[in-house]
Amino acid sequence: MEISPDAWVLYQWRGLELTATIVFTWAVMAVLVIGCRAVTSRLSDSEKVSRWQVMLEVIVTQIRDQIDDMGSGDPDRYLPFIGTLFLFIATSNLLMIVPGYQPPTGSLSTTAALAICVLIAVPLFSVGRRGLGGYLRTYVRPTPLMLPFNVISEVSRTVALAIRLYGNVMSGTVIVGILISVAPFFFPILLQLLGLLTGLIQAYIFAVLAMVYIASASRDRSSGQEGDRQNSKDQGD
Amino acid sequence: MQIDWLTVAAQIVNFLVLVWLLQRFLYRPITNAMRRREERIEERLAEAKAAREEAEEEAASLKRKKAELEESKEGILSSAREEADELREKLKGEIRKEMEEKRDAWRAHLAEEREAFVSALQRKAGQQILDITGHILAEYADMEISERLVATFADRLASLNPDKRAKLTEAASEAETAVVETGAALTSSAKRRITRALHDVLSSDIDVDYREDEEMVLGVRLTIGGVTAEWSAARYLDRLRAELDEAIDLGSHGGGPEQEHVATAERGSG
Repeated sequence: MEISPDAWVLYQWRGLELTATIVFTWAVMAVLVIGCRAVTSRLSDSEKVSRWQVMLEVIVTQIRDQIDDMGSGDPDRYLPFIGTLFLFIATSNLLMIVPGYQPPTGSLSTTAALAICVLIAVPLFSVGRRGLGGYLRTYVRPTPLMLPFNVISEVSRTVALAIRLYGNVMSGTVIVGILISVAPFFFPILLQLLGLLTGLIQAYIFAVLAMVYIASASRDRSSGQEGDRQNSKDQGD
Repeated sequence: MQIDWLTVAAQIVNFLVLVWLLQRFLYRPITNAMRRREERIEERLAEAKAAREEAEEEAASLKRKKAELEESKEGILSSAREEADELREKLKGEIRKEMEEKRDAWRAHLAEEREAFVSALQRKAGQQILDITGHILAEYADMEISERLVATFADRLASLNPDKRAKLTEAASEAETAVVETGAALTSSAKRRITRALHDVLSSDIDVDYREDEEMVLGVRLTIGGVTAEWSAARYLDRLRAELDEAIDLGSHGGGPEQEHVATAERGSG
């Protein structure tokens, strides 16, 4: 039994391996882009709107509202990044019901890549909003003594992001695999249903945490305390 | 559990590509569509608000116009009423005038008819009275009455006022004959008496010519030359006629005509 889709090599060419992670990632991307393209190519400005458009509008509006609730202002600025994180992870996890599919989020490489994206995005958005000096000052708050802890916090929460998502998705796959060998009827289906719920919740947590990090780094006042609060929340997870 | 850094790099690239693709195919079109719809709805709401305000204004102006119309209606009604009153008064006046004219014409006509009737009645009554009187006199005109007539003539002649007498005397001196006309033939003694009386009064021997005239009912007419003197019961009849006329006039204005007729008859007989 393969635990990680990284170990499932579909094609090999001169030492380069095309793993299932990459292929399923492309599949998820294709589903998302083609689905969105199909709906948005027939967008309607009038009051008469198709059901698919309503669905997309509800999703986009909800993501925007969530971003807005974080209090970082201008949700359209963060919408592409946060929204894509949520949609990609959610789609990857929900496609688990398709037989033969392995979620790319069950690969530590994918979750690490997403966490690294967040790690880079936090300073980028913060610098874009407050300037480089403003961003760097967040590391020496409330006192310069906190600098090492802040740096460690930055790294550790990134790692925590990656491990949390990977662990949850991977565990779901593993549990289903074990259950199939122990009790092959009915129970795996229940666990898969639970896995769908868990996958959606994980997508939500990942996106919300990413937004919280960005928001805490972008805030002018009491950003240090905010960051501490978020760190403690991370450790709680 | 291991990390393949090549896969990590590939996934980072994949994620960034996905971000770009979704931004292009999902977020931007959807947000643009929603924004356009919102703008459209705002616009429509504004239009609806403007339309409502316009409608309210319209309604207010219509209300105002209606009130004005009501007021002017009152004015028109009252003026129409006044005009109608005027017209009615005018028509009433015209009708009254016409009625007055008709009444006057009718009165005139009535008066004419009455006059005609009265004159006819008069004529007839006079004629009748004359006839009756004539008959009576003709029947009862015996010698005695003739004698009385001649005597009366002689008395009257004698008591003639001086002017008349002078005229008669003057006429008698120029004329050759005096003409005496009576209703009935006179006896010769009566003729003699008259001739004598004439000769006494006029103090001349004028010839007397006796003639009969049926119109002289009970009287004597003396004609000498151009001068005439008459004593006749016909003047009683004339007086009767005048009184009859008066009685008819009084009767036409109200009162008891029968009594008047009786009174006239009494007077006529006396």
